[in-house]
Amino acid sequence: MSAETVHTIIDDLGALLLFTMILIIAAAQIYRAIYAVAAQSLFIAIAGAVLAMATGNVDLWVIAGITLAVKAMVLPWVLHRVVQRMNVRREVEPVIPVGATLALAVLIVVVSFQLSASLGQVRQAITGNALPVGIALTLTGVLAMATQKTALTQMVGLFASENGIFFTAMSVTQGMPLIIEIGVILDVILAALVMAIMVLRVRSTVDADIAELARLRG
Amino acid sequence: MTGDRPLGLVLLEMALLVLLGPLVTGVIQKMKARLQCREGAGVLQPYRDLIKLLRKGTVQADTVSGFFQSIPVLVLAATVAAGALVPVVRVGPPAFPLGDALMLLGLLALARFLTAIGALDAGGAFGGMGASREMTIAPLVEPVLMMVVFSTALTAGTTELGALAAHRGTSWIVAWRAADFLGFAAMLVLLPAETGRIPVDNPDTHLELTMLHEGMLIEHSGPGLGCMLLATHMRQIVTLGLVAALFFPALPADSAGTTGLLLGAGAFAVKILVLALYLALVESSYAKLRLFRVPQYLGVGFVCALTALALRIL
Repeated sequence: MSAETVHTIIDDLGALLLFTMILIIAAAQIYRAIYAVAAQSLFIAIAGAVLAMATGNVDLWVIAGITLAVKAMVLPWVLHRVVQRMNVRREVEPVIPVGATLALAVLIVVVSFQLSASLGQVRQAITGNALPVGIALTLTGVLAMATQKTALTQMVGLFASENGIFFTAMSVTQGMPLIIEIGVILDVILAALVMAIMVLRVRSTVDADIAELARLRG
Repeated sequence: MTGDRPLGLVLLEMALLVLLGPLVTGVIQKMKARLQCREGAGVLQPYRDLIKLLRKGTVQADTVSGFFQSIPVLVLAATVAAGALVPVVRVGPPAFPLGDALMLLGLLALARFLTAIGALDAGGAFGGMGASREMTIAPLVEPVLMMVVFSTALTAGTTELGALAAHRGTSWIVAWRAADFLGFAAMLVLLPAETGRIPVDNPDTHLELTMLHEGMLIEHSGPGLGCMLLATHMRQIVTLGLVAALFFPALPADSAGTTGLLLGAGAFAVKILVLALYLALVESSYAKLRLFRVPQYLGVGFVCALTALALRIL
C-alpha cells in the first residue's frame, strides 16, 4: 500500500470514529452507547491493522487483534451483562442537556484542529488529520464522562476516551512498544471489571448511583 | 454559455421527477408493508389517490381568504421548479443559467412556508398546530442541509448540482474523503426529517398528537389536496435526488446518445431505490420521537455536518 492510500484510509477511519463518538454522546439509551463504543473499537482495530500493513510492524498486528477481541467484544459484552443484571432504566441521565453537550463536542473538535495546527511540525507516522482527530476523540470521551450521571455511561465514556488515546498513539508513533500497549489494555480490562463489580455492589447494598454519592460526606 | 444539459433535457428531467414522485412513495409504502408482514397496497396506489382527489369537488372553511385557493398551485409550482435543479439522467452544468443547490433549498423552504401560511389561513386548530410544529423543525433542518451541501461544494468549487455530481465522478466509497463520511451520516440523519417520515413525522396518521405535515393539509380538499400531495411526493424525490447528486457516483458527462441517457436514468432509479429502502427500514424499525426529542435527534446531524465542514476547512 502506498503512503497516500494509508493516509486516506486513516483519515476516513478518523471520520467514522468521530461519528461513533457523536453517537455515544447523543445516545438516549444506554444500549446504543454500548453498541457505538463497540463499533468505535472495531474501527480502532481496523486502523491498527492498516497501520501494521503499512509499516510492517508485527506488534501492531498483535495490538489490533487484542483491541478487536477485548475492546470490541469482551468489554461491550461485560457492560451489556451489567446493564441486564442491574435492571436499570434504559434512558441515560445527562447532567446538562444533550444539545449543550453536542455543542461542546463541536467546540472540542474545532479546538483540537486549531491546537494541532499550532503545534507546528509534529513528526507523525501518518500525516493528515489523525492527530487532531485523536485529540478530539480523547477530549470528547472525557466530556461524555463528565456529562453523565450514571456509572455505566461514565464507563462507556472512559472506554471511548481510551480509544482516542490509542488512536493518537498509533498514528503518531508507528506503534508503541508492545509491552506498554498490553499493559494499557490490561489496565482497561481490570478497570472495567472493578467498576462493573463496584457498580453492582453499590447498587445491591445502598441502591444508589454515582450522582447521589455527591451528598456523601465523611 | 455551453453546458452538458440543454433546456429540453432539463424539462424532460423535471417531467420525469413529477411522474415518478408518487411511485417512490408507493414503493416505500409497499416495502414498509412487506417489512411489517403485510400485503400492502400496490405501488401505484398514490397515483390512484391523486386521480381520485383531482376528480372530487372542493369544500372550504368559511373563514379562509381568497389566497387559500392559490396555495396548492403555488406550493406545487415551487416544488416542481426545485425539481428542475436536480440532475437526473445526465450530470454536468446546464446550458443556461438555472440555479444551484441553494436555490433548490430556497424553493423547498418557500413551498414549506406557503404550506404553513395556508394552514394558518384556514384558522383550524390542527392546521395551526401542524404549522407551528413544522416551523419549529424547519430551521433545524435547513441550515444543516446547507452545511452538508457546502461541505461537498468546497471540493468541487461550485454549488451547481449538475457540476457537483460531475465532479463526484464515477467512483464511490473508494474516492470518499473523511468529510464525505460525516456529511453522508448527517444526510442520513436528516433525510427522514426532510421527507416527513418517522422518527420526526408520521406520514400515515391523522392523529393530532403525532402529525406535522399532515396537520397542515387537513383544510385542503379535492384538487387542492391533490396538488399538495403531489408536491409532497415531489419534495421527497427531489430531496432523494439531492442526496444522490451529492454523494453517489455519477456517469461521465460525455456518455451522450440514447443509451447514455437510458443508462443514466437506470442509475438514478437504482440510487433512489436504495435511499427509499433506507427510509422504509428506518420507518419500520424506529418509533416516532416525542416532539421535544426531535431537536436532540437533529442535533446529531448538525454536529456531523459541522465536523464535516471542520474536516474540510481546518
